[in-house]
Amino acid sequence: MSDTLVKPSSAQPAPAAPKRRRNWLAIAATAVGLVLLVLLPVIIGTEVAYLKVAQYILIGAVGGIGLTLLVGQAGQLSLAHPFFLLVGAVSYAVLSGEAEADLVGLGLPPVIGLIGAVAVSGLLGLAFAPVAGRLRGIYLGVASLSLVFLGLWLGQSLESLTGGTSSGRTPPTFELFGFAFANSEPAPTILGVAIQKQQRLWFLFLALAVIAYLLARGAVRSRIGRAWRAVRDNEAAAAAMGVNVTRVKAGAFVVSSAYAGLAGVMTALWLDLVKPDENEFTGNYSLTVAIAFLAIVIIGGLGSVPGAVFGAVVVYGLQQFFLLGANEFGWFADAEFGGLTAVVLSAFVYGTAVVLVVLFEPGGAAAIGRRLVGRRAPAPVPAAPGGRDTPERNDDDPRA
Amino acid sequence: MSAGTRDEAAVAAEPPTGLRDDVRELVVEDLTLRFGGITALDAVSFTVAPGTVHALIGPNGAGKSSCFNVISGLYRPTRDPAPREPGVRHRVRAPREVRYGDADLTALSPHKLAALGIGRSFQNIALSPGSTVRDNVLTGRHVLTRGGFLSGGLRLPRTVREERRHTARAEEICDFLGLADRLDTVVGVLPYGVAKRVDIARALAIEPTLLLLDEPAAGLNATETAQMAVTITGLRDALGISVLLVEHDMGLVMGIADRVSVLDFGRLIADGPPAEVQADPGVIRAYLGTGEDETDDETDGGATADGGGDGVPS
Amino acid sequence: MTTFVQLLVNGLGKGAVYALLALGFVVIFKATEVVNFAHGSLVLVGGYLVYELKDALGWPTAAVVGVLAAALAGLLIERALLANATSADHNGLALLTIGIDVIITEEIVRRVGADIPFIGDPYDAQPIQLGAVTVFRTQAIALVVGAVLIAAFLLAFRYSSWGVAMRAQAENREAAALMGIRSSRVTATAWLVAGALAGVAVLFIATQDFSGAGLGRGTHAIALVAFPAAILGGLDSTAGAVVGGIVVGLTEALSAQYISFEFSKSAVFLVMLVVLVVRPSGLFGTKELSRV
Repeated sequence: MSDTLVKPSSAQPAPAAPKRRRNWLAIAATAVGLVLLVLLPVIIGTEVAYLKVAQYILIGAVGGIGLTLLVGQAGQLSLAHPFFLLVGAVSYAVLSGEAEADLVGLGLPPVIGLIGAVAVSGLLGLAFAPVAGRLRGIYLGVASLSLVFLGLWLGQSLESLTGGTSSGRTPPTFELFGFAFANSEPAPTILGVAIQKQQRLWFLFLALAVIAYLLARGAVRSRIGRAWRAVRDNEAAAAAMGVNVTRVKAGAFVVSSAYAGLAGVMTALWLDLVKPDENEFTGNYSLTVAIAFLAIVIIGGLGSVPGAVFGAVVVYGLQQFFLLGANEFGWFADAEFGGLTAVVLSAFVYGTAVVLVVLFEPGGAAAIGRRLVGRRAPAPVPAAPGGRDTPERNDDDPRA
Repeated sequence: MSAGTRDEAAVAAEPPTGLRDDVRELVVEDLTLRFGGITALDAVSFTVAPGTVHALIGPNGAGKSSCFNVISGLYRPTRDPAPREPGVRHRVRAPREVRYGDADLTALSPHKLAALGIGRSFQNIALSPGSTVRDNVLTGRHVLTRGGFLSGGLRLPRTVREERRHTARAEEICDFLGLADRLDTVVGVLPYGVAKRVDIARALAIEPTLLLLDEPAAGLNATETAQMAVTITGLRDALGISVLLVEHDMGLVMGIADRVSVLDFGRLIADGPPAEVQADPGVIRAYLGTGEDETDDETDGGATADGGGDGVPS
Repeated sequence: MTTFVQLLVNGLGKGAVYALLALGFVVIFKATEVVNFAHGSLVLVGGYLVYELKDALGWPTAAVVGVLAAALAGLLIERALLANATSADHNGLALLTIGIDVIITEEIVRRVGADIPFIGDPYDAQPIQLGAVTVFRTQAIALVVGAVLIAAFLLAFRYSSWGVAMRAQAENREAAALMGIRSSRVTATAWLVAGALAGVAVLFIATQDFSGAGLGRGTHAIALVAFPAAILGGLDSTAGAVVGGIVVGLTEALSAQYISFEFSKSAVFLVMLVVLVVRPSGLFGTKELSRV
């Protein structure tokens, strides 16, 4: 159509747009990375403790991806992530666990339990949506904090579901088409390494994380992702484009909560325990976790899905790595460490990382990554009157 | 109306050069808007005929933006309760002050307007600065497309096909607005004048039959303003749609508008072809009598659009 | 009835402490639109110095040093970090304070160790008996100190040149700058004041009377409960912070007594949620206008 139209002459000839080409190098690197991840149990061999660290990172990645979609893409600050983790963990135990003395258990197949737990978390996210829809920014952040406190209290009160704070309850072993994610005798082997419970859980976690990752990437690039960003950047403009702002915001909360719910199921399987926290400031579903997830998202770069995975490596990975060092090699035991513990040291690292990111690279690891790989060099534009600074993020770059 | 059919028609066929039959009349009738005690709009009426460029002008504080915001559903008209006589049954009927075809715009949420074929641009550019030009324009395809988290996340073949088709159309629109070489550029680094065109491209991406432009020349220098004039008439001629623009820049308005409505202190003081309006003593008084010439600071200042909402007492 | 009077006094005492903390949030928010997530760590800084110095210097001197240290810590955070984060907007700066909070809190919690000491020596665990009514001395003193400080703060905010400058900046940053108000000084002072208020608050928080949480993560978490106080009053309203603090204090005391201790913190947040659903900008907050 354009040929027949009057075409306004462009003021400045812009530098040629970067050509879209298939980056074979990137594809090869991704393939090698995936193979390495799949073979990780073989590479690690008998040192299962390392495998536990890797599993834990995947929990952080799944939860972090969910939060970065909500906070970074849809622009809704939430500190409620631990609550939905708790909901996911408890729902899985209730749906698939066996009814015992004082415990409610429906005994459904674990796959149903896992899917159901994700669904329940998503639905509770939807229940919070009317509140979330009315609030903005920091008001929403603090309002969402109330869910963490609510979770603490419910976890303590509903002992028949949660098992209570003193003993908790054991989550059912995950099973897929009769294949149990538990130790067995004899166990199958890959390259001489027995594939036992922890190895099996690794494969499960890896599959879940890859699915979570791909879904998020796809969504970010598609219509819903554009709607999220439009709502984040200007609600009136989003509405003018036909975006139902209330619905899109609620949807983002549902998606994020479902991700957190999945991370909760994974936490239960990882710990082999579902146990609500005793107080609001320490534990698996506490304020500390809310802050840690926020750190994952900030370090990775708000809104970046690969960034969230990187953030999980920094925040969740280092903590478990230091703990491992403490247990295996006696790190931090001597006076020379000045009473540092694994948890404290990892908190220092990610706290510092957050400070550095905000000070020097608000786009987080994602922006650094883009620069290193040299993609998306935004064409340098001569400082034009009214031209604005380089934005700190480019969260929808389909190639990032 | 079905969004799909409008989309198909627009993508497939050559755009009609004459009047299209889906472009309707925008009628503003007896529109009153008050903020507290201040009357921003006082029984304003005018009609945007299909396929015309209609300008809404007036000095600062005349109520142009308020009027614009009522049309786009952000403000609701003020309605006085009719005097009730005891014993008489009154028929309660919404006055429908703003209509597009049969649709009552005063009763719709802002996000429903896009599906009716009404697109709008923003005075101070409300784009996503971190997204590319292509992505921003694609946002305008929201009502013409389907799909949520799962279909997008799974990249179903249907979704991918749809995405490809609409990306092609978005790029076509960008090409029309001279943005072809900026498709992959992040909006935040664009010069103001270019970003302004991206904003219009996004509004065009909803395939509007009525395009609302909020001060399209605000913040532009003289060259850019001239380009904007060419763009606006060009898109009207090419697409056969109606354009309603609110504007400070008299030069732009008189050059491109088929009809001009003039507001002053919330009242409509003139309505007619540009030449007629320009000669109207009331209009001259409104513009010169206040001792302010609005057009100057807007056109040569360029970079600093004050973006001040006129006529919105707050 | 006597229980109720007891709860009222104790709740008001807690409320006064929450109000001091909430004022700290509000004063920083008004000056810079930054929400300070590091407030809890300022509380800990003050408390930690009292804990370290009270044996050597005596409690009163240590308390003064603690307040000053918290104020200086606030100033230092602003000058050294926030003022240098030139590319971040107020939301980015809020995220920055999260990082700062993690570091300071972990360090102090580590230094204090497993002791989680109480630092309200002169008044802690010495209830006053007034007829049938038992009042915690900590809460009673907190109420008096809080009332005096809040009054002084509100007066200064209204009449001192700093207060005028502060309010001008909150109203319109550019215009204030044109009037010769030095934005950096107003901002730095806001952090100084917020830190000092946090330093006073901790003298009452890290006690057996207040909630039994000693100096440690528990104290830090209590500072977080002041968030609802600031939010439900309206983040940009000083009067709102005072009302919010009292609402939170009373809610906590009453629900702990009549429902359950575990529920009391949830109750605070539920009250805040209800307020926010009805008034999304808090009781006294400025309604945020969405501009096009």
